Amino acid sequence: MAYALVALGFVLALNAAGAVNFAHGDLVVLGGAVAVAAGQSTGLAAPLLLPLVALTLGAAGIVAARVAILPLVARPPEATFVATIALAAIIEHGLTVGLGAAPRTAPALTGSGSFDIAGVALGRQPLAIVVVGSVLVAGVWFLLERTQTGRRMRAVSSDRHMARAVGIPVGRYIMLSLALAGALAGIAGFLLGHQFLVAPTQGAGHMLKAYIAVALGGWGSVPGALLGALGIGFFETFVSAGFGDAWASAALYVGVLVVLAFRPQGLFGEPVGRRA
Amino acid sequence: MSAAVLEIGGLAVNAGEIVALLGGNGAGKTSLLEAILGFRSTPEPVSLFGQDASALTVEQRVALGVGYVPEGRRVFAGLTVRENLEASSTAPASERRRRVEEMLVLFPMLGERPEARAWLLSGGQQQMLALARALMNRPRLLLMDEPTLGLAPLVVADLLRRLPQMAAGGMAILLAEQRAALALGTASRGVVLSRGRIVLAGSAAELAADPALADLMAGG
Amino acid sequence: MRPLGAFWLAALLALPIFALAVLPPFGQRMVTLVGIYALMGLGYQLVFGQLGALNLAQGALFGVGAYTAALAAPMLGALALPVAILAAAIPAAVVAGPILRLQSHYFALATLALASIVNLVAVHAESLTGGANGISGFVSSLPRGPVLLAMVWICLIAGVLIYAQLFRGRLGDEARLLREAPLMAATLGIDGGRWRLAGFVVGAALAGLAGAFSAAISGVVSPDVTGFSVMVLCLTSVVIGGSRHPMGAVVGALLAVCLPEMLRDFQDAWLLVYAVATLAIVRWAPGGLAEWIDRLSGARSPVPHKPVVPERLLPATGAQRLVLDNVVKRFGGVDALAGVSFAVGRGEIVGLIGPNGSGKTTLLNVIGGLDHVDGGAITLDDTHLEHLPPHVIARKGLGRTFQTLMLEGDTRSADLARAVSTGAAFLLLDEPAAGATDRERGQLTSLLRRLRDAGRGVVIVDHDIELLTRVCDRLVCLDRGKVIAIGGPAEVRADPRVRASFLGLVEAAA
Repeated sequence: MAYALVALGFVLALNAAGAVNFAHGDLVVLGGAVAVAAGQSTGLAAPLLLPLVALTLGAAGIVAARVAILPLVARPPEATFVATIALAAIIEHGLTVGLGAAPRTAPALTGSGSFDIAGVALGRQPLAIVVVGSVLVAGVWFLLERTQTGRRMRAVSSDRHMARAVGIPVGRYIMLSLALAGALAGIAGFLLGHQFLVAPTQGAGHMLKAYIAVALGGWGSVPGALLGALGIGFFETFVSAGFGDAWASAALYVGVLVVLAFRPQGLFGEPVGRRA
Repeated sequence: MSAAVLEIGGLAVNAGEIVALLGGNGAGKTSLLEAILGFRSTPEPVSLFGQDASALTVEQRVALGVGYVPEGRRVFAGLTVRENLEASSTAPASERRRRVEEMLVLFPMLGERPEARAWLLSGGQQQMLALARALMNRPRLLLMDEPTLGLAPLVVADLLRRLPQMAAGGMAILLAEQRAALALGTASRGVVLSRGRIVLAGSAAELAADPALADLMAGG
Repeated sequence: MRPLGAFWLAALLALPIFALAVLPPFGQRMVTLVGIYALMGLGYQLVFGQLGALNLAQGALFGVGAYTAALAAPMLGALALPVAILAAAIPAAVVAGPILRLQSHYFALATLALASIVNLVAVHAESLTGGANGISGFVSSLPRGPVLLAMVWICLIAGVLIYAQLFRGRLGDEARLLREAPLMAATLGIDGGRWRLAGFVVGAALAGLAGAFSAAISGVVSPDVTGFSVMVLCLTSVVIGGSRHPMGAVVGALLAVCLPEMLRDFQDAWLLVYAVATLAIVRWAPGGLAEWIDRLSGARSPVPHKPVVPERLLPATGAQRLVLDNVVKRFGGVDALAGVSFAVGRGEIVGLIGPNGSGKTTLLNVIGGLDHVDGGAITLDDTHLEHLPPHVIARKGLGRTFQTLMLEGDTRSADLARAVSTGAAFLLLDEPAAGATDRERGQLTSLLRRLRDAGRGVVIVDHDIELLTRVCDRLVCLDRGKVIAIGGPAEVRADPRVRASFLGLVEAAA
């Protein structure tokens, strides 16, 4: 479920800024780190930390795009690739310097312990992650599909030039999308941070999963990214249950290469109707 | 009081008037429309609705009452017909929905499938959607760029028949067209551009009868 | 690109000599490391710098080289070095086929996935790689100390000189075209596929060699050498140094090795500084530090040489006749070309006119192979062109210019000159007079006449019908993908159907 949040944020930023943000995975880690730091310094309960992390990372999402993506829109895509990779390295090493390289644990959302439902023990924390994740995905879906703000965000990512011509304040909506992307990354980092700890070097891994989800689900497609992320999650869970984590990851990467070899445009192709 | 809703260079358009903007490919029609809308700057001042608009942004010009139907339609591909219309409105929610329903009635082609994603529409339906989208904010000046390109004759007729009805309500329409005969059949006046300058102007009847027109349209 | 100046040459030679003669072993080790990173970076420049493709597998290939050297050294000794080169280059050549076809963001993803697989193998295939502990104890079989330094730097200096020499000439121009205007490159006869393959494989070979050297210097090979951080280091070094400058990789590597020493008290902070510097360079000095130093030292910035039309146009050899027979092209059910037939001979100029959307540019695209035909035949004498890739068609004697300029800072006359200079027997010109002044139109007219006199065949699309009337032998008028008139300019212009089509009276006329 947390993958879904990461991929969702990734695709929102992709559509809003028109470029791959390689630092997205590090925004996830940053979210975890903020949760750790804020949890220690303020002692707030986890449910109160959640909005704090979201706000901080929302701002970080905007800053990231302002620094490494938006100034480079007129340049070839490789320029933004490199700039965001550099930004990712800045966040990673900034965290290493600031917090140290040792993994930390983010505060738990709920107390430990488990429910017993129909004889199956469910941990409280994983359950909380699934609930929070689902609520957020549903919330973002509602925002995009059912509100005027969401419609306008989608109109802006579909055709920026034309959106201006019908009177949409394009700049404001781009910033909003980027803030949302950052906030989702931050929350994902918080949620993952308790179970898998927070370490500065995890960013690349998060980014790669989101990238794969978006590439397989259809470049720029929001539901595609969600499906891709859930697919990756299930795939990894099942394969790793049978053969171990390493094999699961390896199989995933090989799968990606095979898909790209036979479908150079991704599993579902690029969305039709994008302006050339 | 001047009735001109638009003045730029040697071109003036009055309220309730349809003016054909003619010229071959590359004559500068799109550039002129984009300059009026504010997407590109021009050395000449642009006056909209009696005020100097040269320093205004695109958003401000749209708010003043300029609507735009771009070449190639450019509907928001992933949004439905209804969403395309709603997203393009600056009105408050209840008024917005009322206008959407109005458009769905006014354009039966769209009313038939309001929930269809725009990229699944036919060319004619997309063109109607682009027009309806531009009408959502009740513009007083409508800029249309090659709206008949690639459309079936019946759809072209449907589209062009609507323009005088819209103009009768006081809307000014500047219609950029390469198919001069079609445009002059609808417009009251026309101007012909060549290499970015107006080289010929007159009433629709005068222009249609001018032997120089064909050569100019071919790019002479 | 200019040849390597005396300043750089001196720096390149002085560093290793100084190290060998003066520096203590610790300093020599650092200079060796600089050479190793620079070798990897030099290979990376081929794909990333010259072709603009974001390859994220270079670090993994470096790791493959290191592991191969570590495994092979006990058996083969120094021969492990060439084996390491092959171990990186051969897999690169194998995977190159499918992944080099991918578009920018998918290419980056594929190479990243590839790198991740290598990393997983390094960590988990314990029987082969020793797992997380890595491999050690092989180092006595490999060159060490000053010998290693000399070997590394001899390879590097040779590499930099070859690189500078290769890319200063035609190869540099070709790479720029492939990077910035791949379509144009194809119409000039440049085989992008072969080029990318060569760049990728040679780049991999250099990464493998650098990896093997790194195994020799460190004595231990652990999964870290295949990690993403090596890749990021390589990428940032090349960007900071200059992604295309022959000395870019060396300058970047020098900083990457020296910065951590200078900032030793801050531990990991040097990587932070390095990343910030990369970001700054991308934004404000995309040419990198090496180019910046060039500018400071007063060297002229390299001006890509402007193509000009040769003084004397030689009569072109090759095919005599370009024939279109019933050519059909559909876009989503619409016939963009609905059975177009005409022929162009040598020494003939044919003007293609028609209203917007009538299929003129589409026709040029299918002739040049940029779009596939859906029916009919296009032949150059007896050779069918329908199913050939664009660069092959170009080599058979078909040149092309474009409506929209593809290279930054390019001009229409340069675009035209480039096409003419290929010596193509037939030229397809798409709106060469668009936006031109009267004087330029005059020059274009005389150039077209010279082309005719030199026996070239020309198909020209333009909106300046007066110009076409002056220079063309025949005009072909298209409307909705069909030829509606063909003949002498005056005759076609007077044709009532042509006049009707330009006035938009198609329905009435049809």
